[in-house]
Amino acid sequence: MHVSTPDHHVQEIEHTADWAIRVRARDLIGLFTGAAEGMFGLLTDLSQVTPVRQFEIELRAIDVETLLIDWLNELLYLSEEQGVVFTGFAIHDLTVNGGARLRAQVDGGHPSELFKVIKAATFHGLSIRRAEDGLQAELVFDV
Amino acid sequence: MAIRKQDFTKINDYLWEIPKSFRDDMRVPVRVYADDELLEDALGDKSIEQAVNVASLPGLVERVLVMPDVHQGYGMPIGGVAASELPSGIISPGAIGYDINCGVRLLASHVSHDEVRDQIGDLATALYRNCPSGVGSEGHIRLSHDEFTDMLRQGSKWALKQGYARREDLDHTEEFGTMPGADPGKVSERAVKRGRPQVGTLGAGNHFIEVDRVTSIFDEEAARVLGLFEDQIVVQIHCGSRGFGHQVCTDYVSDFQSAVRKYGIQLPDRELVCAPLDSPEGKDYLGAMACAANYAFANRQVLAHLVRRSFEEVLAGKVRDFDLHQIYDIAHNMGKIEEHVVGGKSIKVCVHRKGATRAFGPGSDVLPPDLKPIGQPVLIPGSMGTASWVLLGTAGSMEQSFGSTCHGAGRVMSRSRAKKEIRGEKLRDELQGRGIRVRAGSMPGLAEEAPQAYKDVDRVIEVVSKAGIARKVARLEPVAVIKG
Repeated sequence: MHVSTPDHHVQEIEHTADWAIRVRARDLIGLFTGAAEGMFGLLTDLSQVTPVRQFEIELRAIDVETLLIDWLNELLYLSEEQGVVFTGFAIHDLTVNGGARLRAQVDGGHPSELFKVIKAATFHGLSIRRAEDGLQAELVFDV
Repeated sequence: MAIRKQDFTKINDYLWEIPKSFRDDMRVPVRVYADDELLEDALGDKSIEQAVNVASLPGLVERVLVMPDVHQGYGMPIGGVAASELPSGIISPGAIGYDINCGVRLLASHVSHDEVRDQIGDLATALYRNCPSGVGSEGHIRLSHDEFTDMLRQGSKWALKQGYARREDLDHTEEFGTMPGADPGKVSERAVKRGRPQVGTLGAGNHFIEVDRVTSIFDEEAARVLGLFEDQIVVQIHCGSRGFGHQVCTDYVSDFQSAVRKYGIQLPDRELVCAPLDSPEGKDYLGAMACAANYAFANRQVLAHLVRRSFEEVLAGKVRDFDLHQIYDIAHNMGKIEEHVVGGKSIKVCVHRKGATRAFGPGSDVLPPDLKPIGQPVLIPGSMGTASWVLLGTAGSMEQSFGSTCHGAGRVMSRSRAKKEIRGEKLRDELQGRGIRVRAGSMPGLAEEAPQAYKDVDRVIEVVSKAGIARKVARLEPVAVIKG
C-alpha cells in the first residue's frame, strides 16, 4: 500500500505477524494525518468510501509519540463504535510544549468491505525522527 | 545490533542461549528452543532482538525464554516467556498483548470421521451460521451492565449459571475458567462498551473454529484418560477477549507511559512499558487483565455451547451420540501469578506468556483429579490446513520454562507478502480439493493465514518434545475450517 500527497507519504513495510507502515511528512500535522490515512488504507479501499459523518476529537498526552498512538487508537475506537472508517482529517491544533495536545475534526463513512480488524496501534519501535524534508515515523499495528 | 548465530551458546541440539553479557542493559540471559533450521528462521526477523529487549526489564528472574514457534511481534516477541518476582518485579501489558487470554479450546466427539464423512459440509455450514464471526461481529447475547460486570468477575462460572456450560467444562479449563482478582472497577467504560455486544463471537484475523480428525495417537494411556481415539472427530475453538481485551491493553499501555517515568524505569522499547506488581498501577492492570481473561473464558464457553448446538442440529438422528466433551481450554496470552522453583527456592512470580502456553506437569495442584496424574493438556493449533497437536505438560517444563511451552506453528512470511503472493479464492479451492471444507468471510484475510506463511508445526512440536518441555499425545488434521 502506498499513499502519497504533497503533505505526506505512506508506505506499507514488512512485518512477520502484524501490519506496519512508514510515514514521511513535512510537519507533525502531515505525519498525524498520514498515519491515520495509512492505517485506514490498510483496512479498506478509502477511495470507495463516501464521508457521511463528522466527529470532533480532543486529546492530551505526556509527549508527542504518546499523542500519535492515542490519536490512532481514538480513531480505531470510534471506527468500531460507529461502524465507519475515516477518510478526512482536519487537524486544527497540534501543540507540543512539555506535553502534547491535539484538536481535530474527522470525516467518516461506511466501508463496503473491511479486510481486517486492527486491534491497536502500538508503541513498538516508535520514534518521530527528523528526516530529509521533514519527519518520519514507523508504526506497527496489532492485527 | 544484528544478532547472529555465533552470538549464541549451544546448550544442546534444541536449546541456545544469548548470555547476559551480550548487551549492557540485559538483566537475564535469553534461551531459545529451536533446532538449527528454526533458529535460522527466528534470526530472519526481529524476534530475538525483541527477546533481548525483554531481558532488560527490571525484576525478571532466571531467563527470558523463546519458543520454537517464535516470530516478531511488538514489544515481546510472539512465543516469549518472562517471569518477574513478586512483590516488586514488573508487570507489562505489552508483554502480554492486546488479545488478553487469546486461547484454544478442544471439544471431542464420540463419533469417527468415517461415521460422519458425508455430514462434514453441513457441519461446517451450521458452525459458520451459528457462531458469529468476521470483522465487527456481534453476538446473540444481550447483557445489562450488571450482568456484564458479573461475567467479568466470574468468567466460565457465569456461563455455567446461564446454562452455556457444564461443570466438567470448568474442571477442564485453565484457572477453572475464572481468573482470580478480577476488578471491573479498573476497566474503562470504553472497554465495557466494546465488549458488551461481542460476547459469544469469534471475530476475525487468525481466529477460527476447526473440525479435525485425530490421525495419530502417541500416548495410548494419556489419550484414554483424555477420551481421544484414532479417527475421532474433534473441534478446536481459537479466539480471545475481542474488543474488550484490546481496549484494556490499549488503555494500560497508554497509562503506563507515565508510570515508567514515575518509577524511573528505562526501556529499549516503549511497548514494553511496565509497573511494579505491588504499585497502584500494577495492581490496577492485574485487576483489569483478569476481567479480560474472564471475558475470553466466557466467550469460548458460549462458542462451545453454539458448537454443541450445531452438532446436534446436523447429527441428531444420524449418529448414536452427537455430544461433545471438553478436553481442555488453555490461554496463550496471559500474565499469571504462579509459584516456581528459582535458584532452589520456591518463589511467587508473574509469568508473562505471549504466544506461549502454560504446560504444567503431572502432580500439579491446579489440575483436576483426572488430569493430575498425566499433566495439563496443551493445545497447539497448526496453521490453516495443516496439523494441530494435543500435548501434555511435563516435569521438564516445570524445571526449565516456568511450566510453559509453544503455542502454534509461528509465522515466517509477512502479511503484506502473503497478501501479494497468495489469492484467498485459490487457497480455498486448494484446501477444498484436499477435502477440507472452508467457510470464510474474507478472502484477503484467508490469504494472510495461508499455510505457506507459517513454519512447519510438526517441526516445532519435535523441538518442544525433544527438549522435554511437552510430550506428544495426539496429532489432528483438519476436515473443516470456519473463519471470519
